[in-house]
Amino acid sequence: MEKEIEINQVTKRYGTLVAVKEVSLTIPQGMVFGLLGPNGAGKTTLVNILTTLMKSTSGSASVGGYDVVKDGARVRSLIGVVPQENNLDRYLTARENLIFHAKMHAMRPSSYNRRVDELLSLMGLAERQKDFPNKFSTGMQRRLVVARALVHDPQILFLDEPTTGLDPQAKRLLWDYFLSLKGKRTLFLTTHNMEEAEFLCDRITIIDHGSPIASGTPPQLKEMAEDSWFYEVEVAKPEEYLQVFLALPFVATSSLQDGQIRVALRKGATLGNLVEQIKPQDLKKLSSRQPSLEDIFLKLTGRGLRQ
Amino acid sequence: MMRGAVCIWQRDMLVLKRNISSELATVMAFPLTFFLTFGLGLKGYIQDIEGVPYAIFVVPGLISMTAILGAFDDGAWGMWFHRIVQKTIEEYRVNPITVTDIIVGKIISGFTSGFCKGLAVGISLFFLTGFKFSFLFLGSYLIFIFLGCITFSCLGSLCGTLIDKPENLGRIEAVVVMPLIFLAGLFFPLSAYPDSALYYIKAIPTTALFDGARIALLSGKIDPLYLIEMILSAIISFILAVRIFEKKMHG
Repeated sequence: MEKEIEINQVTKRYGTLVAVKEVSLTIPQGMVFGLLGPNGAGKTTLVNILTTLMKSTSGSASVGGYDVVKDGARVRSLIGVVPQENNLDRYLTARENLIFHAKMHAMRPSSYNRRVDELLSLMGLAERQKDFPNKFSTGMQRRLVVARALVHDPQILFLDEPTTGLDPQAKRLLWDYFLSLKGKRTLFLTTHNMEEAEFLCDRITIIDHGSPIASGTPPQLKEMAEDSWFYEVEVAKPEEYLQVFLALPFVATSSLQDGQIRVALRKGATLGNLVEQIKPQDLKKLSSRQPSLEDIFLKLTGRGLRQ
Repeated sequence: MMRGAVCIWQRDMLVLKRNISSELATVMAFPLTFFLTFGLGLKGYIQDIEGVPYAIFVVPGLISMTAILGAFDDGAWGMWFHRIVQKTIEEYRVNPITVTDIIVGKIISGFTSGFCKGLAVGISLFFLTGFKFSFLFLGSYLIFIFLGCITFSCLGSLCGTLIDKPENLGRIEAVVVMPLIFLAGLFFPLSAYPDSALYYIKAIPTTALFDGARIALLSGKIDPLYLIEMILSAIISFILAVRIFEKKMHG
């Protein structure tokens, strides 16, 4: 497969802070690639470098075969970008936002009018095309941002946390659309949503403190956790028990999520070892579960993704 | 290179057209208040200035002031709003246009907005005052307004590029732009300054604009030194606005 995105030893520093550290990646054409990491891991910085918004301190990168520094305009003609924030023009209607974008790509009215109609309809915004974006819900604004990124039918789509803040229905609509592009377009997705990464991505790289710490397909990454056992424990006073669990030598990782303690036991440890630590009257529920990408992240970094 | 600039200018003109009535109402209030206060209210107490009735003396300056304030405001707040609030500059930058396109588009928008506002105030004052001038002199006057709008649109865009806090943008206008306008002899003749200060006052671009534009409109003469000063101001501020914006965007 042809390489669509190539990153060679890219580093970005802000003074003494290293936002991205010697990252090298190759993404073939037609792949949905996921860059997974907590806030501040360097995901957006890397997207900004690839979309020509920012220059790296060292290293090189190419998108669609063009160097992001030397051939910036060519790169930008190939890409569509969905940024983290809904940077819509609130003084233009939904339709005008799309038309403005089309004009920036030198599209003619005969081609952009049809495309704009298609996208507005696809995103369920046709009825609201004459409204201004500030009257839209967050989900609608997000859909309009996605539509805008697609107006010129880009070869490569950069999606920087595209579904953050969306309700499940809106999220699902966008996921289905992204899935429909699989194989036809190259998608570079950043997210801290495990479910999203597992659902959409062919390959995932986990990044933390600016450096990749693991890479592979979702099943390959999950295999990294096969030497651990995963449990969810619901107890009274979960914060206190979390501290107890974290101090146990046979506990690989432990974290508190939605009132439940997630525990990964090291190989050789038994559930009995864990249960012994809990007073019978405090135990509400105990269940085993399949490892998720979140567990991998926790195992690799010792931290939860949303920290 | 210019395609992106034209797109941005067209976008800004669409928005300006949409809000034209409220924009004009706002922009006319300021110079008309000045005219009523100084031009009419004080005219009985002030002698003719160099043979020109006081009410007429202030009119060219009020038009120039409206034009350059409009250009500065549009450049400064437009750039600041797109960069900090809407973050649409980021959206512009992921399109196949150059950073230079963006700043040039914004400068032309600021210029057009200022020019239109100045024109609207000029027409109003023309009907209000019965201000008479030779249409042959209009071209010379517009050269100064044109260069003034370019200069102040560039300076506004520069401020909108460099300043992140809105209160600081307001301070620049209050502490730098307004004093530059009032020092330039908007309401009084430059001959009122002592000779020792006049040299410095004439070096201020706003003086070249206000005095030069007034002389052009009332007598049809173009002061070559003022014209050179205005051309240099426009070129320098354009280069500064473009270079600093490019530097800021490329990090």
